[in-house]
Amino acid sequence: MIERRKNILLFGILILVLILFPFLASNYWIRLFTGIFMYGTLAQATNILMGFSGLVPFGNVVFFGIGAYFTGIAMLSLGFPFFIALVLGASACFVFAFVVGHPVLKLKGHYFAIATMGISEAIKQIATNVKITRGGMGLNLPLVPLEVNTSYLFFYFLMFSAMILVTIAAFWISKNRIGYALRAIMSNEDGAKSIGINTLHYKVLAWAISAFFTGLAGGIFAYWYGYIDPPSVFDIGISVRFIIMILLGGAGTIVGPLLGASFIELLSETVWSQFLFIHLGVLGAIIVLVVIFMPKGFLWFYRQKFSLEALLENVRKGKL
Amino acid sequence: MEVLLSIKNVSKYFGGLGANKDLSFDIEKGEIIGLIGPNGSGKTTLINVITGNYAADQGSIRFKGHEILGLKPYTINRLGIARTYQVVQPFVGMSVRENVVAGVLFGRDGKGRKMKAAWEKADEVLELCHMQEKKNEMVENLTIADVKRLEIAKAMATDPDLLLLDEGMAGLNPKEIDDALELITKINKMGITLLVVEHVMKAVMSISQRVVVLHQGLLMAIGTPETIVRDEQVIKAYLGEKYTLRRKDQGEAKKL
Amino acid sequence: MLILQVLINGILIGGLYGCVAVGFSLVWGVSNIINLSHGIFIMLGAYITFWLFTLFHIDPFLTIPISATILFLVGYLVQKFLLNYVVGYTQQSGFGVFLSLILTFGLARVFENLMVGIWSGDWRSVTTTYSGLSLHLAGVSIPYIRIAVFGVALLSAGLLSIFLYRSRAGMAIRAITFNTVGAQIVGIELDRIYNITFALGAALAGIAGSLVSLIYSFSPFLSTPYLSWAFVIVVMGGLGSIYGAIAGGILLGIIESVASVYVGPGYQQAIGFIILVLLLVFRPQGLFGKKFLK
Repeated sequence: MIERRKNILLFGILILVLILFPFLASNYWIRLFTGIFMYGTLAQATNILMGFSGLVPFGNVVFFGIGAYFTGIAMLSLGFPFFIALVLGASACFVFAFVVGHPVLKLKGHYFAIATMGISEAIKQIATNVKITRGGMGLNLPLVPLEVNTSYLFFYFLMFSAMILVTIAAFWISKNRIGYALRAIMSNEDGAKSIGINTLHYKVLAWAISAFFTGLAGGIFAYWYGYIDPPSVFDIGISVRFIIMILLGGAGTIVGPLLGASFIELLSETVWSQFLFIHLGVLGAIIVLVVIFMPKGFLWFYRQKFSLEALLENVRKGKL
Repeated sequence: MEVLLSIKNVSKYFGGLGANKDLSFDIEKGEIIGLIGPNGSGKTTLINVITGNYAADQGSIRFKGHEILGLKPYTINRLGIARTYQVVQPFVGMSVRENVVAGVLFGRDGKGRKMKAAWEKADEVLELCHMQEKKNEMVENLTIADVKRLEIAKAMATDPDLLLLDEGMAGLNPKEIDDALELITKINKMGITLLVVEHVMKAVMSISQRVVVLHQGLLMAIGTPETIVRDEQVIKAYLGEKYTLRRKDQGEAKKL
Repeated sequence: MLILQVLINGILIGGLYGCVAVGFSLVWGVSNIINLSHGIFIMLGAYITFWLFTLFHIDPFLTIPISATILFLVGYLVQKFLLNYVVGYTQQSGFGVFLSLILTFGLARVFENLMVGIWSGDWRSVTTTYSGLSLHLAGVSIPYIRIAVFGVALLSAGLLSIFLYRSRAGMAIRAITFNTVGAQIVGIELDRIYNITFALGAALAGIAGSLVSLIYSFSPFLSTPYLSWAFVIVVMGGLGSIYGAIAGGILLGIIESVASVYVGPGYQQAIGFIILVLLLVFRPQGLFGKKFLK
């Protein structure tokens, strides 16, 4: 009980700090944290599907792109105000995932992963060729009607809210029937079917929810950056990045993905500023090392009490 | 007696192999019916066909008068048929209680249930199956007997009218078998009909009102345990031709 | 005769596609490793040929054995010192399989950066004196280079096939595809076989890369299309099947060739991916009936 109260208190303090922070920090830091919140949202969104059901949607970035483009096009071509365009974009992602999910989620594990990659790449190419998206030239969103410093704050709090929202969703799902269904499916799909779980339905629902929040982040991103093009918003690298964040922090936990996102984003920023030229390479190398030494994530590692034996045991086990 | 499940001319082929060939029999409401037969005779296949895990190639299965052949496993479960698996399928990473809650949430009346009500019903089921003390254990830490008991608890959580038990006694010692039999009897007294697939003869014979014998996919015999035990064909199938001839000779010798 | 030209173009380039896919399919089928570095290995092969041709004026086709050897070594080292640590996980269920995906993804980024550092990100290509020459037959124009590329691609696949079916190491590789435990029982050392398999896959990528340098422009950042072709072809042709990879490659070549004329050049990859998804959903065993291994 005391443990519980302590956690809630810590959490509350953290939230308070994060709310007050932007009023005291420089724009550089505000931007950095906005980026962290964005990846936090993305990681948590995909965690809803991946962490509970074990399915890895390598192509989930497609929803980031769809959300970004829908928001952009709705504002540009249809003149919708930002918030409406944003919700439209996220909803479009939900619908898309719901429809496509029915055939695609019948696939097992890695075939689902590959199919999602295929879908993402196909949509990317289509977006590059279709007129309405302005193709490879990219889309310029309407300017944000706010003064510079205010706009920094605006996007900070917007991304922060998105991250809080998706985290609440993930928490709620874990405690309710969707969470049970997904965990049962991950453990034992036949067993799940035998106790009355319509496995396809729950997988599709989880994917659609993850799509919604991924699209939400995409829409905010589009308005934030002001310019989007297919290679940047449909980049599989983004998916891999947030999947690594989930694995790093601990898939299936609520806090894990957020930890993972913070770590990788801060690390990336440090590396970028120190090793400008080869930062991607160094990041790649770090990914490689993390995968080898901590395949089950930070929280697992933390529970192992940081023991060196556990680390070596893990390496040995990986070596068969 | 009222017929609960009616199996008619059910066949299931895997390539050229006939796992179930033209099986027909009825299960009566409230009975415990045993299903025995040598390995490979088609017992588990039949269970999978009934529960919708396999699609039958031919035939009809009616449950409470409604055709269930072709329905999905989760639909069939919600109609009132539950099963356990020969190779147990507990939900790893969840506690005993959570496993049962899963069954409660998605089984027959699961849809409308709120979480709190689900937890309470789960506790009732655990109580019934004598698993309350272990309720917060993670399934990875359970003994084989407990895991098998959990299988039954999960199935019971879905509120079935018909429970199909697939070799629930395999790997249990005599005391554990007795406990399992006691649980099965208790469940039956609650009004639930049971189909028990078993290799442990003493167990299935002592508890069943009727027994169905499968052999190489065909229905070989059906009757009370006493009749089955004396049936020549059954003895031949289980114990071999030589034994049967030897018994016959002994029988002849005795008569003389 | 437009249709004939389109078909021939498709078949010839399809041979190259097949060569691109064979190594990828082998590694996936045997070791259950989805090598996202495969595309960058191909680029490496292209650069090796480019370097040897530009600096030492060696004919590109003669550089093929060199690029194959270098990539073989690279692949061997990668498997031995990196991938073997996660192979244990890839055999289990759960997230294990994805570790190899993530590892090879990270590795690809490292290689990419190294290559940009050495060769810069500029687009390169290899143009020989005979690059522009074509055979003119029955109203169709067939560049000699493409015929040669097709020939080498098929030859490589053939050599691999001979290796797999006639040599001891090859038999060991085929044995573990079906049963790792069974293979170990008869004394096959899993680790060494994984090393050789991955090395072979890389070598084939090297060969494909050398061939690519003659036909396409390349740069460290242009590795993705090759990877995507590999994926589609593996699903089409069946996992671990050499014949399937070549046949699938040729089929994909024809489809893309036809599509680029009748639908529009920009949609080539999109069509490939849509086929991939449709196949996965409706015919996961591939077009040629080979079962997908678990």
